[in-house]
Amino acid sequence: MAEYVFKIFRYDPEKDETGRVQEYRIDVQPGWTVLDALNYIKWFVDGTLSYRRACRHGICGSCGMTINGKNGLACETQIKDLGTTVITVEPLRGFPVIKDLIVDMEPLYDKLYAIKPYLITKTPPPTDKERLQSPEDRAKLDGKYECILCGCCTSSCPTYWADKNFLGPNALLKAARFLFDSRDEGYEERVSVIDDKHGVWRCHTIFNCVEACPKELNPTQAIVDLRKLILRGKL
Amino acid sequence: MLEKPPVIKPYRWHLGSIAWILHRITGLLLVFYLLLHIWVTHHVTEGPEGFNKVMSVVQQPIFLLLEIGLLVTVLYHAFNGLRIIIVEFADNGAGAHKTLFGIMMAIAGILFLVGGIPMFMHFLHVLNK
Repeated sequence: MAEYVFKIFRYDPEKDETGRVQEYRIDVQPGWTVLDALNYIKWFVDGTLSYRRACRHGICGSCGMTINGKNGLACETQIKDLGTTVITVEPLRGFPVIKDLIVDMEPLYDKLYAIKPYLITKTPPPTDKERLQSPEDRAKLDGKYECILCGCCTSSCPTYWADKNFLGPNALLKAARFLFDSRDEGYEERVSVIDDKHGVWRCHTIFNCVEACPKELNPTQAIVDLRKLILRGKL
Repeated sequence: MLEKPPVIKPYRWHLGSIAWILHRITGLLLVFYLLLHIWVTHHVTEGPEGFNKVMSVVQQPIFLLLEIGLLVTVLYHAFNGLRIIIVEFADNGAGAHKTLFGIMMAIAGILFLVGGIPMFMHFLHVLNK
């Protein structure tokens, strides 16, 4: 056991004008993740602390937050890996804060809906059963479909901080997931949205999204691939 | 809802973001240099006397040192720019951006030595005159 200092962002919309920092000193057990520490604080120290969590296994994407200045999932961040006994926990930046570590994810979802995140088809399937895809075409979607919508990428993006209309790495990765799907026929609908100054062309290849993604995906690669797709379409 | 929450700890820098901010800074420095360069060379319209007068100012030792700084600025901006072009157009370029940065900076470093050592020797020569 070792004593750690947790500096946690607190904001109660009914009491606070703005956000503040609250310090908690707790003994951390070996093997604890940041989420384990937050649970300990909520259950045994301060029940008013609010944050989102569900699966505890890096699948649901609920516990995305900024830990020691870097976005990640609290449930996947081992405390000992942080290499310090002072740990700062903040809500995902770029999004409005509802309470403590809980942010309003609607701006993220709005961008996702804008790129039409579903298979668009115009021709009937070749058989009356299903649209088949070759293993090679399926492999083209690797690294594009695994997103868990935690918001760590878009929230880490300096371009998104500066331009809230920017679609962001999350929505653009999802757009790539469908635009590079051999079964999809929604090129015009999607490209009309992403071929915009707030779309693929806004990215400055800063790579914060790649560093932040807890699923180790590469939204920047998806964005530059989309740019090439659009350029080829125009040539 | 709190639209603009205060930041407790600045977001962490890493190779990608440092490369980006340096690209911005060197870009601005090059714009400043270009304006200065145009201002200096426009003196050529004043004939040999006027041009030599301004050239004697910019050939002082301090400017010779600044020229080595200019070489660093140009090399960084050029080779990081090349890295960004490769990231944009090569297959899986974004996945290899850190390796690309290393390769580009190694080439820029060699070119800096090739150009910078003679420039520094010239600076010492002028200083000892």
